[in-house]
Amino acid sequence: MTDTAAVARGAQLELSEDWLAVIVGIAIFALSLVGAAGPDLLGWVVTTSVWADPGKALAPFSKAYASLGGFGSLVVTYAALLAVLGAAVVALKIDIRRFAAAFTVVFFLAYGSWIVGSQANLAVVTPADFKKFGLSWSLRLTNEGGYVVALVLGLVIANFFPRFGDWLSAAIRPELYIKIAIVIIGASLAVTAVGKLNLATSLLWRGVVAIIEAYLIYWAVVYFVARKWFGFSREWAAPLASGISICGVSAAIATGGAIRARPVVPVLVSSLVVIFAVVEVLILPFLAATFLSHEPLVAGAWLGLAVKTDGAALAAGGITDALILARAASEGVNYQPGWILGTTATVKVFIDIFIGVWTFVLGYIWTNHIDRLPGSARARPIEIWQRFPKFILGFLLTFVVGLAIALSIDAAAAPRFTAAVAESNVFRVIFFILTFFSIGVLSNFRKLWEQGLGRLAAVYFVSLFGFVIWVGLLISWLFFAGVKPPLAN
Amino acid sequence: MSDLNALKQELAKSEVEPLLPIEKKLIGWSLGLGLGLLIGLAVLNRVFGLF
Repeated sequence: MTDTAAVARGAQLELSEDWLAVIVGIAIFALSLVGAAGPDLLGWVVTTSVWADPGKALAPFSKAYASLGGFGSLVVTYAALLAVLGAAVVALKIDIRRFAAAFTVVFFLAYGSWIVGSQANLAVVTPADFKKFGLSWSLRLTNEGGYVVALVLGLVIANFFPRFGDWLSAAIRPELYIKIAIVIIGASLAVTAVGKLNLATSLLWRGVVAIIEAYLIYWAVVYFVARKWFGFSREWAAPLASGISICGVSAAIATGGAIRARPVVPVLVSSLVVIFAVVEVLILPFLAATFLSHEPLVAGAWLGLAVKTDGAALAAGGITDALILARAASEGVNYQPGWILGTTATVKVFIDIFIGVWTFVLGYIWTNHIDRLPGSARARPIEIWQRFPKFILGFLLTFVVGLAIALSIDAAAAPRFTAAVAESNVFRVIFFILTFFSIGVLSNFRKLWEQGLGRLAAVYFVSLFGFVIWVGLLISWLFFAGVKPPLAN
Repeated sequence: MSDLNALKQELAKSEVEPLLPIEKKLIGWSLGLGLGLLIGLAVLNRVFGLF
């Protein structure tokens, strides 16, 4: 786990990181769009297929770059990301040489995990693929199981090679990576939604409604549990309630700021959020696939309400999307991919939007009624904008632009546009992989225990597994049951 | 290290702060509004198919 001071500095960088995520994400989306009308500028990006022969695992996205070969495209992808992210960290005033060295290791370890996760005996699910690869057994994780491999590798490094984990810290930036991924995913969701606009609109409204209740019910109960049952002070209980009930790291840090808590408080709560998100990702997608495969969008919404960091929630949604689609396909039902992930993303994005509103409410109450000091700064409405997660603007931009193009493009040009969006989606997957690996490296369980977080962890465990997950399931069921993804053509 | 020990002690056992009236109001209103909206919107959706 990165040291407390480094994470606190990271909290202060959050605003700049948000804008950088917007710039990088939009740049990738814009460059991929060029390929829809002209030269394919990003077609060299590496993709991984499910493989039994390692020589066939990697390939460039576009056939126009076939001469690069799989390994060549992997190296070019690494170099391009190093250049782009290197420029970003220079803007964040981080040592570029430390970042470059660490990112080199992070990229190849993380992407190596993705390659391992795509090995046929780990990934294959359907009878057709069993026959194609000549397999007698498989763990049936789908190739999205590569996220779990990356996460587990990160956990091994954090808990058994902590000094190596500390050396990697300059490139362990899960918040930056997932924010870039969320900006990019806007366009993919738009293309997915455009074919079924009524359904997409319905999901949007269902998502908003589900979130409002979740916020109001979750936060109140968790705050009460933390204050009354576990005897935490207001300073600890408020960020804890926000971290457990709303959206993990961002909500805990925003709440800590709103109530003028000591910086160490939301930072430690954030550490706990990451740990529990890891546990959730290892369990919930498989529970969802086992018990909710006949209600796929309930599963998607549930993960958005139950998993408390953006990175973990979206990756859990992606894993669940693949698992449920594979299970349904084995029963002869072929859903369009992306709707479960899209539902999770919608729920999570709206949760992020409301962070600013809720922390303003808390800030107002704290500065006007609880810690009211003469002459002290009171909460002002402008703080809603200041706390608004700016990377959401990038997501909204790519979504709106993607939707506008998809709705207006003629049938002849549509395949090129769809391919361009699929190309940008490859980058989204890579940033997901980096996020997952980074979350694992941040999760040093022993260090957490040494910091005396046992009692905080107890509140978290009781609230999350005793209440939040089940109420989230109920709310998801109430608003998403009976709504199915469209069938694939 | 002494800061860490102080934090550990604070987390292990902190002085109990009783709930203020404003905190009880915040919990009550938040929970009440959330439950009310949940039940109301769920019923409206089932009866009128709002979404």
